[in-house]
Amino acid sequence: MPHAMGIALLAFFFAFPFVYSAGNYDYIMHICIVGFFYAILASSWSMLAGYAGQFSFGHMAFMGLGAYTAALFCHYFFISPEPTGICTEFALGSNYLIIKNPIGVTSTTLTQDCLAQAMEKWDGAVTVSPMPVWLGVILGTLVGGIFGLLIGLLVLPLRAAYLALFTLGFSEILRATISAEIQITRGQAGIELPGLFENGITIAGHYFGKTDKIPPYFVMFFLLLGCLAILYWLSRSRFGLFVRALREDQDAAAALGVNTTRYKILVFVITSMMAASAGAVQAHYVTIITPNNLMILQMSLVVAMAVIAGVENFVAAAIGAILIEFTLEMLRTSFNIGGVEIDMTLWRLVFFGVVLMLTLRFARNGLLVPVINYFSRGHVAAETVVRRKQSESSEGASTAPGVQGGSS
Amino acid sequence: MIELEVSRLNKKFGGNHVLKDVSFEIKGAEMIGLIGPNGAGKTTLTNVLDGAVKPNSGTVYLNGKRIDQLPPFEIAKTGLGRTFQVTRSFRRMTVLENLYVPALALGKSHTGNEVKEQALEVLEFLTMEHLRNEYARALSGGQQKLLELGRLLMLDPDIIILDEPFAGVHPKLMEVIYDYIRRANAQGKAMIIISHQMDSIFALCERLLVLNYGDLIADGTPEQVKKDPVVIEAYLGTTEDRSGTGHGDEAEQS
Repeated sequence: MPHAMGIALLAFFFAFPFVYSAGNYDYIMHICIVGFFYAILASSWSMLAGYAGQFSFGHMAFMGLGAYTAALFCHYFFISPEPTGICTEFALGSNYLIIKNPIGVTSTTLTQDCLAQAMEKWDGAVTVSPMPVWLGVILGTLVGGIFGLLIGLLVLPLRAAYLALFTLGFSEILRATISAEIQITRGQAGIELPGLFENGITIAGHYFGKTDKIPPYFVMFFLLLGCLAILYWLSRSRFGLFVRALREDQDAAAALGVNTTRYKILVFVITSMMAASAGAVQAHYVTIITPNNLMILQMSLVVAMAVIAGVENFVAAAIGAILIEFTLEMLRTSFNIGGVEIDMTLWRLVFFGVVLMLTLRFARNGLLVPVINYFSRGHVAAETVVRRKQSESSEGASTAPGVQGGSS
Repeated sequence: MIELEVSRLNKKFGGNHVLKDVSFEIKGAEMIGLIGPNGAGKTTLTNVLDGAVKPNSGTVYLNGKRIDQLPPFEIAKTGLGRTFQVTRSFRRMTVLENLYVPALALGKSHTGNEVKEQALEVLEFLTMEHLRNEYARALSGGQQKLLELGRLLMLDPDIIILDEPFAGVHPKLMEVIYDYIRRANAQGKAMIIISHQMDSIFALCERLLVLNYGDLIADGTPEQVKKDPVVIEAYLGTTEDRSGTGHGDEAEQS
C-alpha cells in the first residue's frame, strides 16, 4: 500500500505541470518548487534529527552555505579569452579565469569592479563567460559537506540540548558574518545570481524561457527525488541501522562494535550536503540570496514541517513539507469577520504554531507517520500473538520462561 | 586460546581512587565472578576493559593486542563484549534490528539471510522468537535483559562481561540466563559475572575476583575466597554480620 501511494504521488507530481489549468499557474508552480525545496530540507533534517538523534538547528546554515557559495562563485568568477590586466587572473588553457574584486554595495555607476572596467576598455570586442550554474551548485554542495564535516567533528561530544545550542550558535554566527562582510557578500542587500536557465532551455524541441516554471520545477523535483533515493538507500543499509542505534544509546552501540564517531560525522556530512545543494538550486531559482534566509524563523519552519509530519520518517517529512508549504500559502487570503479585517499573512503563522503545539502534545510521532506505520507495521501485533500461540502449543505452556509480559 | 592480561590498572575520578593497581589474567574459557561491595570499582573496571573509560595508568592486553587506549567499538570487535548494569536496549528499534547491529558492525552482509537466520536462532534460544518484529520498548524488563544477552551472542566476543545479570530477575528467567552463561562458556567464551547474588556466583563460577574500594583483595577459587578473612571482613561478612540478604550464606557454611 505505501508503495502504491508513493507511485501515485510520483505520477501526480510528474504530470502536474502539464495538466494543471485552474489559474495562477506560475504562482502554483512556484509554491510547488518552494515546497520541494523545503521537502529536501525537512527530509534530510529528519535523517539527522529523527533517525540519528542529532537535534541540530544548523540545517538552514548549511542551506545558506550552499546558496552563498554558488552566489559568490557566479558573482566573482568568470572565464575570459583575454586577460584583463587589472583583475586577479589565472591562465586556464587558452582562456583566463578572472576573479573580480569585491566592491560591496557601492553603486556601480560610481565605482566599477575590475571586470567592468576591462569590459568598458574592450568595448564589446571580448566576450566574457559566466561560470556554469551547475558548477556553482556542485561547489556549494561540497562546501556544505566540508562544513558538515567540521561541525560534525566539533559536536562529537555534545548531546541533546548542548548540540542544539551549539548548532544554533553556528547558524547565527554564519548569518551575522554574512551580514557584516558587506564588501564581499553585499550584506543585507543580498547577492543576485543568474537564473537556473538564464538563456532559456530547449527540451524535446520545446523552448522554455528564462522565467518559465517547468524547468526549475523539474530540477528541484529531481533533486528532491535524488535526495529521497539516497535517504532511502541509507535508511535500508547498515548506515540507517547504526545511526538509529546511535540515537537510542551511543555507548551501547559503541560497545557492540559500532564506530559511533564515524557515523555521527557521516550523517552530518551527508545531510549538510543535501541542504547545501537545495540552497544552491533555490538561490539560482529565486535569483537572490540574503542573510535573512538563514534566520532562525526559517530553521523553525523546517523543524516544524518535519515534526508535524513525523520526524522519524523522511518520506513523511518530505510530504509534510510540501503540504504545509501549500497550506501556508493558501492561508494568505485575508477575510472579514463582522467588519474586522483578519490579516492572514500574519495570522497564518499563528495557525501554524498552534498546529505544531497540538502535534507535539497529542501526536508525538507526527500526523503522517502513524498512517505510514499503520500500513507498514499494522500486522506486527497479530503476528506476535500467532507466533506466541504456536510456540506455546509446540513446547507446552509451562516451558516458556521469560516470555510473560510481551505487549505490542 | 583466550588471553586477557590486566596489569596495574589505576583509575581516579577527582580524589576518588577507584582502581588501585588492579592486575589479573584470564587464560582460556574461564568462568569468573567479580564481586565486591557497592563502590568497590566493579563497573569502573568493566568500563575500563571495554574502553568507555580510559585508565590513568596500566595496560590491558587481549589476545596479545593492547586495548586499553582503543575506542570501545574496536575493543568490541577485538573480542570483548559487555552488558550494562541498567539494561540498554535500542528501544525504538525492533528486536531483530537490535540483534542485527553487532552482526553488521562486524562487517557481515545485511543482504541475504545469514544474519537473519543467526538472529532467529538466538531468539529461539532466548524463547523470544515470537517477539522478533516488536519494538524493544514493547518488551518486559526481563525480556530486554535477554535481548541484551542476545546481542552479545551476535557480537560473538571471546570474553563476555555481564554486569548484574540476575538483578530483578524472575526465577524462571534466571534459568534462561544460567543456561545462556553455561552455553556461552561451553562454546569457549570466558565469562566475567558481576553480581551481588552470591548463590548464583558460587553456583556458576570457578574463580572469583574480589574488589574492595579499588583494591583487588582476592583472586582464587570460591572455596579459597570464602575462607579468606580479608574478604569475609570486607564483603561476605560473618554469621553475626548476616542481614539475611543472601550475602555470606556460603561463608557461614564454610
